[in-house]
Amino acid sequence: MSDPRFDPYEILQELGAVKTGFVLVGGLARVIHGSDETTRGLDLAPSLNKESLRRLGVALDKLQARRVDGQPLDLSDLDPQREPVIELQSDAGEIKIVLEPAGTRGYEDLRIRANREPLGQGVRPAVASPGDLVRMMEALDRQPDPLVLETMRRVLELDRRLTIER
Amino acid sequence: MTTGELIRSARLRAGYSQKELAQRLGMASSSIARWETDTVEPGFSTLRRVLQACGFDIPPVLVAYERDPERDARIQEMRELTPQERMTRLLDRLDKPAR
Repeated sequence: MSDPRFDPYEILQELGAVKTGFVLVGGLARVIHGSDETTRGLDLAPSLNKESLRRLGVALDKLQARRVDGQPLDLSDLDPQREPVIELQSDAGEIKIVLEPAGTRGYEDLRIRANREPLGQGVRPAVASPGDLVRMMEALDRQPDPLVLETMRRVLELDRRLTIER
Repeated sequence: MTTGELIRSARLRAGYSQKELAQRLGMASSSIARWETDTVEPGFSTLRRVLQACGFDIPPVLVAYERDPERDARIQEMRELTPQERMTRLLDRLDKPAR
């Protein structure tokens, strides 16, 4: 059986087109910062602003995103305590809406240190900082991949050195 | 664990607010906030002073740390790519059938 389709550009273009607020987190964010891992999904921490969530809903509709548990997708009643992660499958691949990534206070906390990274094809999403990505991995309930965690710590170390040397 | 998390954890275990800890240290509470969010990293002596104000300390123990040259070379290789090139590399890898 072939792997499901994953087109992060299509997802990011739709999200960008509606101008919804989000910070990219998880494996794809780590890859963008230099982690040599493989991921087949896009994780995002959304702004909980009502209008932004409405726009996110529009983008997810266009992507034909539906919840993997078969429940209807309702972005008007989100509660990080009740449901910290919403898993979706879309025509462009897996999307996870992570309301409050482990060890953080969600979008408002992450966006301060996030950077907009130019990825080509007209997309320039806000990507969580290496420090926040390390923090998320360290705060996970499950044991993170030690190789990925070590890699991200090293990326963080090199980034800090660059900042000091600038 | 990041330095910020260490400070936050020590402060919370001591039961201090950021303002209370700042008062004990004679500094602005914004400094505590910046450290805890890893926006600014304190020097080692400052870190010890902060932890000691919370009733903790870091034992000055040195443990052997071995670099992994292969991993460092891979990271270096990735760092020389732009974010766009890193994405392209990921997508190329996903297109290839698993070996």
